[in-house]
Amino acid sequence: MLIAENLGKTYETKDWSGFLRRKCTQVEAVKDVSLEMQKGQIIGLLGINGAGKTTTIKMLSTLLQPTKGRIDVDGLDGVKDAMKVKKRINMITGGERMIYWRLTARENLWYYGQLYGIENRLLEARIQKLLSMVGLSDKQDIPVERFSKGMKQRLQIARGLINNPGYIFMDEPTLGLDAAIARELREYVKDLARNDGKAILLTTHYIQEVEELCEYVYVMDKGAVIVQGTPKELALMGIENKVLCLELNENHELLHASLTDACMSIEKDCLILWDDKNKTYTITSRQDMSGIVTRVLLEQQAPFRNFYHQEPSLEDAIIKLSRRGA
Amino acid sequence: MMEYFLKVLRAEMRKQHKNRFFGKSIYVSLFLWPLLTFITAYYSYKPFPLDKIVRGLDYINESNLIIFVLMGYMCLIFFRCFVQSAWLFSSERTYGTLELIYMTPANRLAFIMGNAVASLFESIWLFVVFAAGIFILNASSFKINIGCAILGIILLLTLSILWGMLLNALFLFSRDSAFLFTVLEEPMEIFAGIKVPAVIFPLWAKVISAVFPLTYIAEMLRRIFIKGDGLLQIRGFVLISILTGLVMLTVTIICLRLGEEYARKTGNMALF
Repeated sequence: MLIAENLGKTYETKDWSGFLRRKCTQVEAVKDVSLEMQKGQIIGLLGINGAGKTTTIKMLSTLLQPTKGRIDVDGLDGVKDAMKVKKRINMITGGERMIYWRLTARENLWYYGQLYGIENRLLEARIQKLLSMVGLSDKQDIPVERFSKGMKQRLQIARGLINNPGYIFMDEPTLGLDAAIARELREYVKDLARNDGKAILLTTHYIQEVEELCEYVYVMDKGAVIVQGTPKELALMGIENKVLCLELNENHELLHASLTDACMSIEKDCLILWDDKNKTYTITSRQDMSGIVTRVLLEQQAPFRNFYHQEPSLEDAIIKLSRRGA
Repeated sequence: MMEYFLKVLRAEMRKQHKNRFFGKSIYVSLFLWPLLTFITAYYSYKPFPLDKIVRGLDYINESNLIIFVLMGYMCLIFFRCFVQSAWLFSSERTYGTLELIYMTPANRLAFIMGNAVASLFESIWLFVVFAAGIFILNASSFKINIGCAILGIILLLTLSILWGMLLNALFLFSRDSAFLFTVLEEPMEIFAGIKVPAVIFPLWAKVISAVFPLTYIAEMLRRIFIKGDGLLQIRGFVLISILTGLVMLTVTIICLRLGEEYARKTGNMALF
């Protein structure tokens, strides 16, 4: 298990404030972040740009030294035993950097495998397995510069798995990919956690990805975790209003007045919208209107095809929570 | 431990070779470029009475001028190839691959040594073959101490690799690698006594030439191969070469440590 406790990172920035004077400013990029990564689990680290996600990932991946707090990776200290920890972790980033374009896919994997000191026979078998897993077996001897964006990203995934890490940090792995390839990559990520038991920390700006993949989510803002929970719990946390949808079979002249009167009698400033094209009412209110709407429907005997509470959106919730702060 | 070191060294050498040598035409340019500079230097001497210009060096004359210049240029190639390769190496930082390398437990010294060794052998072999050919054609007029010649070549190889490692470490963590490139490229050729022997420099230029390890190596090899000096005569150069090598290795290790520590502390890989 990977445990981070009260992680903090303060940077010192120096700016020239005069001809010879330099002004030092302390910037607290991450404050008191605690999180856990368990084998077979995908967790999300979300937040707007500048929230502190990348700094947190860099601390977890031994690239940055925390100014406070503790990182424990399977009983190893993330700072003191950094060299041992490096063997158990890896990072997969989005974009086309971090691989050598003039080398072939196989050569890229071989190079990184050598840096991890993997025995040659084992490395060769692993390279073939990974290339086959990401569907690049038949392209393994082609220089990466001839690869499409999606192929490069698949190679990034293979590279991130070359040392068979228990913990993988994925920093926007589907950045800039089209919908079909992004879906394909999400399937790889799911498999890695479910079938191979990897612990994955995912940062992304695509909320759909979080909803589909993550079992637990940490939302960061201004360097701190402001809220955490399952995607469903988070979505509910951000919701202040309930949204009820009523889809009718046909226009019903009397229903509009009765519905408006009944809802207004419970909550004066509730919002009732009528979509003539789809013949749908959307009722937004703080209180649950389903009871009163059911009563009106029965009274008016209005035929309807659907009547449901609109699911709260995680995206809306995260934006609201980030704006609201802790 | 040593096996892992060699594994990283070999991997880095292979990667750099594949990453930079992607067409056969590059070998032609590798040969033509030093050859043209060598011919230019040789013929720029030709119109002048050599014995009157080079008063401090008794071993240069009309007949061995070609070997004098050739030896200088061969040594220069051993050292100059690193300025270019270290400059290209700094792109590891900008492309983000350095971060991934630093995420591995690979020995950092093996990593930069791999780059240096790859650059050296890729850049020198063609010109060395040419220089050896010219030397063999003129060999009858020289008496060489074979032991000293081997020692000189070993020192040339060792010092140039250490120089390459030092430059790699400096360029890797430098914010302005283009500046380092400008500072090191041309001045090394001028001040290390490649075209004009360092002994005839004014004092201020001699001080600058003392900074470059190439100065000692070039002079030592010229004395071994042209003058036929033995170990006793070149001992001063051997000693200073070993000391320079140790200083370069120490500075490289310190630079690597400081660079990584600074990066872990600030998140910034540009140390200076």
